[in-house]
This record gives sequence, structure tokens and C-alpha cells, in this order.
Amino acid sequence: MSLLSGLVPGLGIAKGMALTLRRFFAPKATVMYPEMPADVATKFRGRLQLLYDEYGALKCETCFQCAQACPIECIDMGGVDTRGRFHVHWGAPETYGERREESAMRRSGRTVPDQAYEHFASFDLTTLDEILDGYDHDPKRMLQMLEATQAAFGYLPVAAIKRISEKTGAWYATIYGTASYYGHLRFEPPSNTAQAGEVSARRASDETYLAALGASLGGRPGGDA
Amino acid sequence: MARTWDRLTIPGKALFVLIPLLAVLTAGLIITIALFGQQILDILIFNLPIVRFVLAATVLLLLAPPIAFVIIYMEMKIIALMNLRIGPDRVGPWGSLLSTVHGLKVLMKEDFTPTRADAVVFTWAPVVVFAAAALSALVLPFAPGLYGQDFNLGLLYFFAIGGMTVVGLLMGGWSSFNKYSLLGGLRSAAQIISYEIPLTLSVVGLVLLAGTLSLNTIVVQQGAVYDAAGNLVRGGWFLDWYAFRQPLGFLIFAIAATAEANRTPFDLTEADSEIVAGFATEYSGMRFGFFFFAEYINVFIISAITTVLFLGGWNAPFPAPHISWIINPGAFGIGLLFLVALVPLIGTLVLAAPFYLFRSNTRWWVALILGFLLFNVIAGGLITLWAYINFDWVAGLVWFMGKTFGLVFLFVWMRGTLPRVRIDQLMSFAWKWLLPASLLNLFVTALAIVVIDALRHPR
Repeated sequence: MSLLSGLVPGLGIAKGMALTLRRFFAPKATVMYPEMPADVATKFRGRLQLLYDEYGALKCETCFQCAQACPIECIDMGGVDTRGRFHVHWGAPETYGERREESAMRRSGRTVPDQAYEHFASFDLTTLDEILDGYDHDPKRMLQMLEATQAAFGYLPVAAIKRISEKTGAWYATIYGTASYYGHLRFEPPSNTAQAGEVSARRASDETYLAALGASLGGRPGGDA
Repeated sequence: MARTWDRLTIPGKALFVLIPLLAVLTAGLIITIALFGQQILDILIFNLPIVRFVLAATVLLLLAPPIAFVIIYMEMKIIALMNLRIGPDRVGPWGSLLSTVHGLKVLMKEDFTPTRADAVVFTWAPVVVFAAAALSALVLPFAPGLYGQDFNLGLLYFFAIGGMTVVGLLMGGWSSFNKYSLLGGLRSAAQIISYEIPLTLSVVGLVLLAGTLSLNTIVVQQGAVYDAAGNLVRGGWFLDWYAFRQPLGFLIFAIAATAEANRTPFDLTEADSEIVAGFATEYSGMRFGFFFFAEYINVFIISAITTVLFLGGWNAPFPAPHISWIINPGAFGIGLLFLVALVPLIGTLVLAAPFYLFRSNTRWWVALILGFLLFNVIAGGLITLWAYINFDWVAGLVWFMGKTFGLVFLFVWMRGTLPRVRIDQLMSFAWKWLLPASLLNLFVTALAIVVIDALRHPR
């Protein structure tokens, strides 16, 4: 063919003309966008975006409901809790880990965290494990477990919630949601001992307290996932 | 009185002056026609060639912008389709009014003259280019009996007037007071003059065969010959076209004509990606627009002259069956009135009925609209067919325009395909290949004529 194209003058021109003529009749690539919306998969939900309210504050309350509902678990979110205190996170661990790798951070232009820095103070897990054993690792008794944990530590450390999640199999986000629902559970160390004793005091009559709570929730003692 | 005048708006003032003026002029015209109509008619008939020339020039100048608009639209649309795009589709049906809108846009732009430019020459350059393009169409035979002038130097006139384009380009380049414009103008002049030589020489062989320079005669020679009774004597097939008797000449003419019309791959004159439109750098607004009008008119003219010289002009590619199917509208008498009044109504109703009866979800008014449209299509088709059969010039115009716009499509197709050549390639191709080839064509044709003549009439 190359020999032929060298010998016959104008063969290249003829080939090119044939190509454009085929293109002339070929289906067109133009997308008539505003009139014809793009053809996307039915699961497609567009770009993930956090909305702001009219005061300019983020509407997202870090409830993780979107992350839980996501059928392919593609949502990887992190942030601070509603009161702006603690780092919370949702997402597939491998994805999360991947994105937190030093090289990935550097590639995306973010500041590389100090590897030596530890977010949460490590603490003795044996107390917590005993509590969990006492409740038979039953996620349906989450509120009791959380209250017992708070009674033991004075507050709910993130590491403890992670441990509970690991042992009971309940999602971290669920546990966090449960804990943040009840006003008497706290995520920070109490400022004084009177405050620390509060939960124990209120748990004096466990059954009556739970019955009242269940009545307020429509006959559903809280804590179940 | 003065206060009333002051209260009028500007359009009101214009109307106040114009309406009485028009009334007076119309009355004067009617009186003049009534009193001296016969004498005026006599003078006009006596000076028929001049009248014909003025009329043809006016018609051509009026027809030039629409033709240019159509070709600009074709170019936008066809190249878009070849690029897998859709192209213009917003203004008018399938975007067909976009070129008109472009024209209006150009009209509204600032018409700028550079400081120290030669204003008179600068203004006249686009006029010369446009006039050269439009007036060379005067000798084109569009259909039997439908031409501006038919004189025995038609081809020469065509090339002479067409060559005036160079003058216009040089005027534009020189008067812009810009060295790049001047270089662009000289460059395009060099290109056009270089290609004018093979263009003209490639036709000389054809002229030797035809024995005339009259374009009308050349077209007639390529067509069928009928006797007095209207029966076909001989010919009529497309093999009689000069393209098959002068294939080399046709090829050279096509290539040189492409360069002459500044079309891709020889559009170095414009070359907007390299030399910002060359001679037209300093032009803006409608003066720039006229250069482009002229370019697209040139495309039409070049296609038309190729059709006339090599592709049989207004002749059909096959012998037309002679049908005498003449309907004399006068023969219907008073029935014509009923026909005109009733046929559209009945036709619409009859054609709407199937839509309404057999498609239950069609509303009656939708069915009526469909029927009306269908009736219009059918009636229009029948009238066109009737005109095609009964009038030579309609049939001729159909074939002529079909061939011409086929060639315009070819030009656009080439623009959608081929890249631009370099200036040295352009020049060496003209002088080293096209010129020898056209001379060869001329000599071979002359030799063949002499030899065949000698064989037919041996001494």
C-alpha cells in the first residue's frame, strides 16, 4: 500500500476525501446539553457537595447518614462533631488510609501530617472490655454500655467508641450518633467531679429511668442500631 | 405649524416628508407612463442591449448576497458535519439564517479606517473586488435564454473581469498603510496571477475544439441536437461534455480555479491562522464583509464557469424524453376560479382524513395541519414538475444550479479535508507542473484537431 501511495499521485488526497465523506454521514458527537440531559447511570447522584445555610454556616452536622446510605460506600468523610470539638470520620478504612498516605497528601497539595502526632490519648482497654463482657457485646444494649463506659472513664473517649464498635460490630457512626443524641453523654473530660458523678447518680434506678426514656421514645429503649 | 413640527418624533418627521413625496412621485410616474409610455417603451426597445445589461447587472448584484449567504451556510454546516459536529442549528430552520445574522453583525460593527491610510482607495478596494466577482457572472448562461449577455468574447470577458480581483486586492493591501497588509496583498496578487496563466491556457484547448468564446454556444455544443419537429437527432448524453473530451484540461482548470478562488488548499491569501487575513488585516465592518462576500461569490462563479465549460452547463446528463404535456390554464374558463378556491380546501381535507381516522390519538387540528402541509408538498412538487416539463429554462436552471452547487460542495469538502500548502509549494506547483501540463494539453489538442482534419479531408 505504501508503494502504491508513492506511485499514484493524489491517492492520499482521495483517501482523505473519502474519510471526511464517511465522517459527513457518521453519527455526530455533539451533546445537545441544555435540551438533552447527559445519559448517566441511574445510580448517579452528581457531585457530592456540602450545603451552607443562609447564615453561611455549614448545614452538615456530620451525622454520617449519607455515608451510611451510600450503596457503594464511596463517601469518605471526616470533620468535627456538631460542637466543633472532635475529629470524626467515616469511610472505608483502606480508602481512608490510602488518602492519608504521605505521598497522596503531598500529591494533592495538602499539608503532610506529622506521623509522630497522636490524635487521641491511648488508655487502658481492660476496663472497657470488662464492661463490654458484662453486656455480652450486645449492640442492642448500646446505651447501657455507653453509660457504663462514661461512668468508668468520666466521658466517652474516641478510642473507647472505636473499641466498642470493634467489639460489638456496630458502626462507629451509629455509636457516635447514639451517643450524641443523649445530652448526658459527653465526649470530653468533665470539668469537675460533681459533673462526673452525674451519670452514676441518674443511673441509680436503672429500670425506672429506662422505662421513662422508652416512653419518651415511643416504647423503644434507645441505643439499638 | 412650527410647534406641531417640533412635536413630531424623528420617524414621524421622516414619514411626514416621505409619504407626500411618494404620492407625488407615484402620480408623476403614472402620468408619465400614460402620456409618454409608448415613446419610453420604444426608446427602451431601441436600446435593448443597454437595458438588458443594466437589468442583468442589477439582478446579479441583488442576487449576490443571498447566494453568498447560502454558500457561507453550506460551508459552516458541511464542515461541521465532517468534523462530527452538528454546526449551526439555532437561527432559522437547521440554523440556515445564521449567515444572515452574521451579515447583520458585520453591518453593525465599526467601520474603521487607519490613520494615514489612503481613504479613497481603501474604501474602493472592496467595491472593486466585489464588482469583479459579481460582474463576471454577467456572461454566465444559467439556462436557455437566461443570461445577462451572450457575446462572442464571453470567455475573454469572464477572465478579464475576474482578473480585476487582483487590482482590488492590491488596492486594499497598499492603501491600508500597513506593511503586513502590503505584503499580504502582493502575496495574493502573486498567487492569483500565477494561477491565472494555467487557468487560461487550460481552456484554450477547449476553445480550439469549440471554435468560439461564447459561453452560450459552448453549452449548446455539449447538449442534445434536436430537429425542427423537436425529435432528438444525436447526443444528449453526459459523454458529450467537454470534461470527457478535455480531461487534462478539466483537471488543470479545477486545480487552478481552486487557487484562483483562494480556496483550501490554496487559501494563502486569507490564511487567517498565519497572516491574519493578509491584505484585509486593517479592514473591519462591512468593508471586510464585502471581501468575504466577494470570496463566496467567487466560489459560486468558479463553480458555475466550470459547469458551463466542462460539465455541460444547463444540459441534463441524459437525453430528455420529449413530453408535450401542456396545460393551458385559460382552457378551464370560469372553472379555474373554483379550482383555485376549492382544490386547496378539498386537498387539505382529503389528506387530513387518514391521519384523523386511522390514528385515534391525533387531534382534529393537528390532522388538518398535517393535511395542509402534505397538500402543499404535493402541490408544490406537481407545479415544479409541470414547470420542469413545460419550460426549458426551469429544467435548465435546475440542472445548472444542481451541478454548480455540487461543485460548491466539492470546494467545501476540500476545505474540510486538505491542509494549506506552503507558498513555495504553491508557486512551484503552478510554474513547474500546471503550466507545462496546460501547454501539453494545448499542443495535444491542436495536434489531434489537425490530424483528424487531415484524415477526414485527405488532399
